[in-house]
Amino acid sequence: MSSDHGHDAHELSFLRKYVFSVDHKVIGLQYLITSFVFLLAGFALMMLMRWQLAFPGRAIPLIGPMFSPDLAPNGVMSGEFYNALGAMHGTIMIFLGIVPLGVAAFGNYVLPLQIGAPDMAFPRLNMMSYWLYLPAGTLMLLSFFLPGGAAQSGWTSYPPLSVINPGQTVWLLAMVLLITSSLLGAINFLVTSINMRAPGLTLMRLPVFVWSEMVASVILLLAFPPLEAAAILQLMDRVAHTSFYMPKDLVILGQRYAGSGGGQPLLWQHLFWFLAHPEVYVLVLPAMGIVAEIIANNTRKPLHGYKTIVFSMLGVGVMSFLVWAHHMFISGMTPALSNFFLVTTMIISVPSVAILTCLIFSLQGGSIRYNVPMLFALAFLPLFGIGGLTGLPLGLTVTDIYLHDTYYVIGHFHFVVVTGSIIALFAGVYHWFPKWFGRKMNDRLGVIHFWGSVVSMVGIFTPMMIMGLAGASRRLYDPTAQVHNLIVQPLNVVSTYFAAVLGVFQLPFIWNFFHSMFRGEKTPENPWQATTLEWACPSPPPHGNFAKTPRVYRGPYEYSAPGRATDFWPQTDPS
Amino acid sequence: MSKQTAAAHDPAHDEHRPNVKLYIGVFAALLFFTGLTVAVSRLHLPRPQAIALGLTIAGIKAALVAAVFMHLWGEKKLIPKILIGVAIFAVTLVVIDVLDGIWLTPQDTSRMAVADQHPDESAAEPPAPAKPTAAAPEAK
Amino acid sequence: MNATAIENPDTHSGISNAKLGVWLFLASEIMLFATLFTTYIVLRLSATSWPWGWDALNVPLATLNTVILISSSVTIVMAYARAYDRDVRGFRLWMALTLALSFGFLIVKAFEYGHEFSKGIGPSTSVFYAVYFTMTGLHGIHIIGGIIVNSVLLYMSFVQEDWENPLFLGRVEGAGLYWHFVDIVWIFLFPALYLL
Repeated sequence: MSSDHGHDAHELSFLRKYVFSVDHKVIGLQYLITSFVFLLAGFALMMLMRWQLAFPGRAIPLIGPMFSPDLAPNGVMSGEFYNALGAMHGTIMIFLGIVPLGVAAFGNYVLPLQIGAPDMAFPRLNMMSYWLYLPAGTLMLLSFFLPGGAAQSGWTSYPPLSVINPGQTVWLLAMVLLITSSLLGAINFLVTSINMRAPGLTLMRLPVFVWSEMVASVILLLAFPPLEAAAILQLMDRVAHTSFYMPKDLVILGQRYAGSGGGQPLLWQHLFWFLAHPEVYVLVLPAMGIVAEIIANNTRKPLHGYKTIVFSMLGVGVMSFLVWAHHMFISGMTPALSNFFLVTTMIISVPSVAILTCLIFSLQGGSIRYNVPMLFALAFLPLFGIGGLTGLPLGLTVTDIYLHDTYYVIGHFHFVVVTGSIIALFAGVYHWFPKWFGRKMNDRLGVIHFWGSVVSMVGIFTPMMIMGLAGASRRLYDPTAQVHNLIVQPLNVVSTYFAAVLGVFQLPFIWNFFHSMFRGEKTPENPWQATTLEWACPSPPPHGNFAKTPRVYRGPYEYSAPGRATDFWPQTDPS
Repeated sequence: MSKQTAAAHDPAHDEHRPNVKLYIGVFAALLFFTGLTVAVSRLHLPRPQAIALGLTIAGIKAALVAAVFMHLWGEKKLIPKILIGVAIFAVTLVVIDVLDGIWLTPQDTSRMAVADQHPDESAAEPPAPAKPTAAAPEAK
Repeated sequence: MNATAIENPDTHSGISNAKLGVWLFLASEIMLFATLFTTYIVLRLSATSWPWGWDALNVPLATLNTVILISSSVTIVMAYARAYDRDVRGFRLWMALTLALSFGFLIVKAFEYGHEFSKGIGPSTSVFYAVYFTMTGLHGIHIIGGIIVNSVLLYMSFVQEDWENPLFLGRVEGAGLYWHFVDIVWIFLFPALYLL
């Protein structure tokens, strides 16, 4: 309501309209495209790693000779390069890919529309978030070409290694920028959804997606600052040679560490996971919100257990701050704390399962429309379930001692984030595409993209689980260096082939996206016959979104209400 | 402080009618507590007592600033609620990290303690402390 | 209910966007400084010895800085009171005084740092000095941020259009909230580093 710009469509220069725009829709699309580019970059890094894992010691085909001899002598990847790829793959996928895509891209475009607001609460701050995110991401990618190279200490950057390794300083600087951008975004989303909801839109009438964005924003707001502080301390360790994380009497390559010592390496792990575990829920919650929207819309019935879902999301949000040290069971942390975190970890799985159960029950008795977004949403349910349930053995101290740092962890995490979050984000793209461009994505290409992606994703990550159970360490640059890995080494090859297939099946998506943007089949204002507010304005919405502030009369998912002519009852319909 | 003046002024800001006299009073109190905390620290109390006293005084000063200067006293309920939530998370972070620091002392990981709990593992001579850290950068 | 709530009677929180935004920002700042204090406590508990502030640092200068910062908190709240009563000259006077005090804080701080550097003491000397330089340094950066915000507000009070903008008072209040928060951080830093 205090967005101080008028709603009249005054002429803006190209730069103000598409580059330095303050319009939440343009910023949302900027985030969408940028984060997809980063996802693609992260995928490319992963393909290089997968080659090394499947065929250790063989030159990288085609592009191998293009790398400088330090990175890949004779086209064969060096250990340092592999470590850099691993660190940057994790960082890019999580911090530059999925979080900006799930929270910022969809949040920016869809959230203000779903609450009937003309824009975000702070449009200029919103623009600033994007223009901090883009340089941070660019800096992160450019670090490959800077002297010292990219960070090599994993996306977790555990000291003392990370304080010693080259390349880490740029990583830390980029992270500080990125965290600042996320914080600004989180404040913006929270203020917008607390203050700018349309009249009649009470909290219990909010679409689930808005709830998920709010909880994710709270997590970002309160969990990111500890990492920011921790990153600053690590930066001090590297630049000013302090010893926040450097223990006494540390010996590096036979030489005594020059700093004063007296620091605590474990402190970093605590502070890092205080962010990074809640971060997983930041990755997953918007995905759940998107799936809930799509399932309600395509089963043509109200969501099963709306309140359960909302309160479970809040529960997940709160609990996510109390489970972080289950990543540290074997770190040398005091065992008494392990028990505490074991219990909280088991507790947090309850609301997560409750949400998934509600979504599955929502299917019951519905006349399901199997369109492309719905296919992705349906695939989310079992695959995210696998991802979640395979996490339980990692949360139990006894089994974690065996599974920690094996490929099982990688498999579990990727099931959650790839077949969970990314699948749901694809669903969201297909679902809201008509809103963004007034056109629809091609169904046939969508179905090809769906089957290709889902099958190859499962093909990549299932072998990892098996390798992990067989005891393969996730840290190895050359898996054949350990004899017990030789039995499962063929699975690495399978995984790599499926990764290549996954890459190929993204081509129809990319073509479909850009082609449909201009040539796609035109759609009416509300093509999915949905009830929520974002479909009550033109597609794409004009500057200021709604011709007049909408009024809300009922909950978000009034489908197939008895005694009505149509099977959907929009929130704005006064009758 | 705001009830009496509220009706006379713009209703949008009723609870924030600045009360200059109160501000000056708080200023005096803050100066007094600053002097007090410096004076107390000269007394060379035993450290636990000194820390408890110092933090109490700092807490009082912070509460005064927050309640009066930041208008938390008489603010809409939402903001105290947000702050209480933040406080819970912040306290969790501090307490658990500190507990980890306290509970796991160097003695726990000393050779004696390990030998006590895992006689089978400590039979062999453990490697010199320099070796594992030195090997780490190469093995990564 | 109040004026802002009339438009959206059943959903609006009654707190302006700007104020809610500043408070949420402060919430994240609380987590930031909570982390730094956690680091302080953990490192102090695991240290074999921890110097006493009177021996290691310059307490009189820090006390002076505490008084300066507390005074600046009062002057900015006086500036708010003047803005509330639409007294532009009073606002300018108190805001200029706030800025003068904040520069004073930085100058004293610079003397303190300079004194330590001249003795060959830096962040890498020991964990105590690492904590001291990092925490006071980050606090100093927050002071600089506040100076920028307050200078912009002072400048805006000279522009008729901005001064008459109904959002102006909210901006002053937001800047004040931030400034008081920086003050509160110092209120804890002062005993933690210098006195205990």
